[in-house]
Amino acid sequence: MMEPARHILANFDEALRALRNSVLMMSGLTERNLNNAMQGLFERDDERCALAIADDEEVDQLEKQIDRDGVDVLLRYQPVASDLRRVVSAIKLNSNLERVADQAVSIGRRVRKLNRHPALAEVKLITPMHVHALAMLRESIDAYAREDVELARTLKGRDKALDELNASVGRELTEKMAHDPQRLRGYLNLMFIARCLERVGDHATNIAEDAVYAVAAEDIRHQHG
Amino acid sequence: MVTEMPEIVMPASTRLQIPTDAEDSPTAIRVVSVDFAYDEHHVLHGIDLDVPAKSVTALIGPSGCGKTTLLRCINRMNDLIDGARITSGSIWLGDADINAPEIDVVDLRRRVGMVFQKSNPFPKSIYDNIAYGLRVAGVTKRSSINESVERSLRAAALWDEVKDRLDRSALGLSGGQQQRLCIARALAVQPDVILMDEPCSALDPIATARIEELIQQLKREYTIVIVTHNMQQAGRCSDQTGFFYLGRLIEYGATSKIFSNPSQRQTEDYITGRFG
Repeated sequence: MMEPARHILANFDEALRALRNSVLMMSGLTERNLNNAMQGLFERDDERCALAIADDEEVDQLEKQIDRDGVDVLLRYQPVASDLRRVVSAIKLNSNLERVADQAVSIGRRVRKLNRHPALAEVKLITPMHVHALAMLRESIDAYAREDVELARTLKGRDKALDELNASVGRELTEKMAHDPQRLRGYLNLMFIARCLERVGDHATNIAEDAVYAVAAEDIRHQHG
Repeated sequence: MVTEMPEIVMPASTRLQIPTDAEDSPTAIRVVSVDFAYDEHHVLHGIDLDVPAKSVTALIGPSGCGKTTLLRCINRMNDLIDGARITSGSIWLGDADINAPEIDVVDLRRRVGMVFQKSNPFPKSIYDNIAYGLRVAGVTKRSSINESVERSLRAAALWDEVKDRLDRSALGLSGGQQQRLCIARALAVQPDVILMDEPCSALDPIATARIEELIQQLKREYTIVIVTHNMQQAGRCSDQTGFFYLGRLIEYGATSKIFSNPSQRQTEDYITGRFG
């Protein structure tokens, strides 16, 4: 796509660039936290869970910083049209990314509980969801970073697939609970983790919707089918 | 002379998109393929523009783009400049071609009032500033003039501030009050349209806010066309916005659309401050 011309106010360009860079940094930190939490599960590594939990503070601080910077751009430059959409999208992306990091914290806490007990073979049920949710997150951020509207539009359909995976994991684990009530607590924790990943997919979808809005000025939220 | 008002065929890029709340408004002013020149210097090229009645239409664009020239065409202020003329096209006020020979220019300017960049009250009392236009129009009855003066000052949101000093010089008012007095003066002769050429450019933010608030009240009764360099003002005040560049109307549409997602790259570059 055509690169927008520079603003007459060079500082405005710089402020927009800084805001975008902060959002991309936030996405990197969020993805890292999610990855740590999930590796904590797969490798039974409490240390990585602790990192996902502790590093959330960094994400929280950055969230506040991005909100401040976004409001500052609104105040100083009163952006309109594509500039306004970019600032609004950055602020909304920021919020979604922070919530993904919160999911990483929730996963990390559940994994630590799981790790106190013998390993569950059913952890492998989570793997497809993890792969799917992580890919959605990466690609939604990629769509935002590259202003790739077409890629962003594909995320919505993929969220349905993740929802179905989550339902399927739920069904299987419920069945296991009936046969093996001793491990009920462990299965519940796995169901909870699956639910967190499903929410990561929801946030990735939101991010993709904001990416479409930023570039194409189109509100694709709450469109079904 | 009775002339049929022509159908307008606007290029896709300038097709009017009337905002929801102006959808049912009849067209107050119709500008049809207007070209305009100062001697050999062509400054407007094929302008097509429909201004809905009882709404605010903002004309924006960089200096020299032709927006003030178009504004001044609407009440034939350009007639006062040697060599300035519409070389083709027409401008309609309701059913009347304003450049038709039978049009009385004085009556046209009564129907189409104008407020300028710099407030220009007469060096007379506040009362006489408003009464002047009425007397020119032949109103002599004191009670009618009194009534009109009060009505106009109230409509211009100035009555409460000046009602006890109507006999004082208008030049003693603040800049914002003087500008509202000029609006009241225009309202006194009960126009259909009020043209405003950067009415707030010399005012502080408080006085500007008062004028903007006044514009919102006046649009219930009048059709307003405002030229402004203040993008935020156009965004706040207007229902439609037209963007001019190098004598052409690049884009015209609902203000919410122009300022959120303009169709033309040049509009986007201008309103986002990327021009030049």
